[in-house]
Amino acid sequence: MKVIKIDKKEWTSGIEQVKNAYRVFGPIKEENKEFSAFKELGKGVTPDLSATDTRLSPKGIIFPQSEAMFEFTTDSTSDDCNLMNVPEKDYSPRAIVGIRPYDAAAFTLVKKNFDTPEYRDNYWVDAYDACTFIGLAVSSPSILDFSTSTKSGPFDETGLDVLLCDLDDHFLAKVISEKGETFLKAAGFTNIADEKDVQKIDILKKEAEDKIQSRVFFDKIQSYSILDIYEANFWEDISFACINCGTCTYVCPTCWCFDIQDEMQGKTGQRFKNWDSCMFPLFTLHTTGHNPRGTKLQRVRQRFMHKLKYFLDKYNDGIMCVGCGRCIRFCPVNIDIRRVCDTMNSFEPAK
Amino acid sequence: MTGYIAKIKKISKQILDEGTVDMVIGFRKGTLALMNEPCFAKTSKAVDDFVWDGNCGINLANYLTSRKEKIGIIAKGCDSRNIITHIIENKIDRDQLFIIGVPCKGMLDRHLLSAKFPDEILNVSESEDAVIIKGADYEETLPRKEVLQENCSVCIHRNPVIYDELAADLVEEQADLDRFEAVRKIEALNAEDKWQYFEDLLATCIRCYACRNACPLCYCPTCFVDESKPQWVGKGQDTTDIRTFHFLRAFHDAGRCTDCGACVRACPMGIDVRMFTKKLEKDCFESFGWEAGLSLDARPPLDTFNPDDPNDFIL
Amino acid sequence: MEHMGIEPGRIQFSWVSSAESTKFVKVVNEVTESIKALGPLKHFVKAKAKVV
Repeated sequence: MKVIKIDKKEWTSGIEQVKNAYRVFGPIKEENKEFSAFKELGKGVTPDLSATDTRLSPKGIIFPQSEAMFEFTTDSTSDDCNLMNVPEKDYSPRAIVGIRPYDAAAFTLVKKNFDTPEYRDNYWVDAYDACTFIGLAVSSPSILDFSTSTKSGPFDETGLDVLLCDLDDHFLAKVISEKGETFLKAAGFTNIADEKDVQKIDILKKEAEDKIQSRVFFDKIQSYSILDIYEANFWEDISFACINCGTCTYVCPTCWCFDIQDEMQGKTGQRFKNWDSCMFPLFTLHTTGHNPRGTKLQRVRQRFMHKLKYFLDKYNDGIMCVGCGRCIRFCPVNIDIRRVCDTMNSFEPAK
Repeated sequence: MTGYIAKIKKISKQILDEGTVDMVIGFRKGTLALMNEPCFAKTSKAVDDFVWDGNCGINLANYLTSRKEKIGIIAKGCDSRNIITHIIENKIDRDQLFIIGVPCKGMLDRHLLSAKFPDEILNVSESEDAVIIKGADYEETLPRKEVLQENCSVCIHRNPVIYDELAADLVEEQADLDRFEAVRKIEALNAEDKWQYFEDLLATCIRCYACRNACPLCYCPTCFVDESKPQWVGKGQDTTDIRTFHFLRAFHDAGRCTDCGACVRACPMGIDVRMFTKKLEKDCFESFGWEAGLSLDARPPLDTFNPDDPNDFIL
Repeated sequence: MEHMGIEPGRIQFSWVSSAESTKFVKVVNEVTESIKALGPLKHFVKAKAKVV
């Protein structure tokens, strides 16, 4: 394991230098707002590492909220008439600097869906492969952070290529992959840290993990039959407040559902995918007019069953949640996934 | 206002125990500061979870739409006005409802407070005139009127306009307010600046539809943005489509909006979407002397024709 | 619409009876002229959805 020491005086120039080889994304404050978002950083803009807790997760860098998949024309005089052409895409190297470790780990959960032996979502996978993830360890987890309960954590390396730890006047950069090493070289960060520094990372990690106050338990959920928990009587209580907006799914780093839309102007048009939400009635509406998930209760149940039961059963590798806490903070009516998870876990099937 | 809860619980239990209603809709304590969760109680035991404080800003009339049960509902001034609108629009029957009226002194602005205190707010307590905000290493007392939702600070119908029983004595209504100051500021801009104002306002919209779904008026079986035959508006993140959603939604609320502020409260991005609806509220008031949800007997202005209706916009 | 930044005069209403042919011609001509004077619409023109 290699650890690089980066003097903060060199940080800005290093980030500028690396922009010659990468499109660099990072958190910056929204104009006139008190919150931040991940954006592509132009010349002279450095990521605001005090603002990595963005409202929207960085999933949009790999999986944009609206993305053109094809362009087409219905002009019969064109050779391309009625053909679906993939528009030009920029899959040159890109890097997300300042991503929180669990937001990066979320991509590895999403990958299970978009990159399978049978199907490969080229748009997602090509963008993912082009990306280097430079995480910033979370030293002061928020009260809603329950990432250590989800196999992730404030120093989780699962989805990262480099893990940065902030030590006031310098960063320690733990090199996790070759991709990460290449990035650090391109930025001119090559100063190898000494053994004493390296040990600090483990101490900081322990400190951060100890600060986490939120826990969820899902150890028993797998043992319940799907039908029993599906029919459980707590769903009415859980779903009552829900207004069926898309906030939880849009701010979630692991929600991956999308809808496909065609839009035409005159004879040309494009087909694009938009984020969709299982909270929306339209999500499952059939062309016949029938909607198998026609009620709010069914939709809320679907969201939590997918994250906390079906995913767990299917992959036997934890829940589809990294514990970032965004859905809790931004839900307009305070539906709390921790409470739902505990309710499901402490479920007692009727005998 | 913090002392209302005992009476609210007492009434709720009584109407449940006597079988007057099948359920009571109220709030339970949220899992983070400044948030309470709408909930229902079908037994008097469940009523014990009810809370009432300045974090009950979600409009509970939204939870009545097309329900069949007999329902007890806790209603602030704005909720009660939306209940009237619901009854007028046949979304619920008056006979189905037992309205527990709550004279309101305004709800706390969660967006304002969380912006003001970047370090996590852990606890909020309230007295009649003050709000005490506590974090891990700070405690601050603020005058209540400075941290109210903007719609509450310009509210002139704090008392419920329809109720079966009150949870407390009526409060004094605010008077001599400039309710439309914010709208007039926009009206004073030139066309290009107006356009830019709303561009900036909507810049962070993620189109989650929380504003629409928190709104008791937005109960259409299929919203126009969800229609596909014909498709009225694009579904992507194009700014034209985002704006079309917002301004057309506001039009649909013309003469119906009670300025309850649920839309703004619900918005995860803290966008002041009231800046659309407030203009229409002002126009309805100035053109027709109309305020929504004040009477079960008056038809809304866009529902009726009166020979005196202003028509100077017709060339 | 004007409140949102569409120029005053871009949207106009009139009441013309089927018997008022001269008024109809007059209104159409006036509207056409005043709209031409405003120039092309800058907003709510969506050439192609701006997506990634």
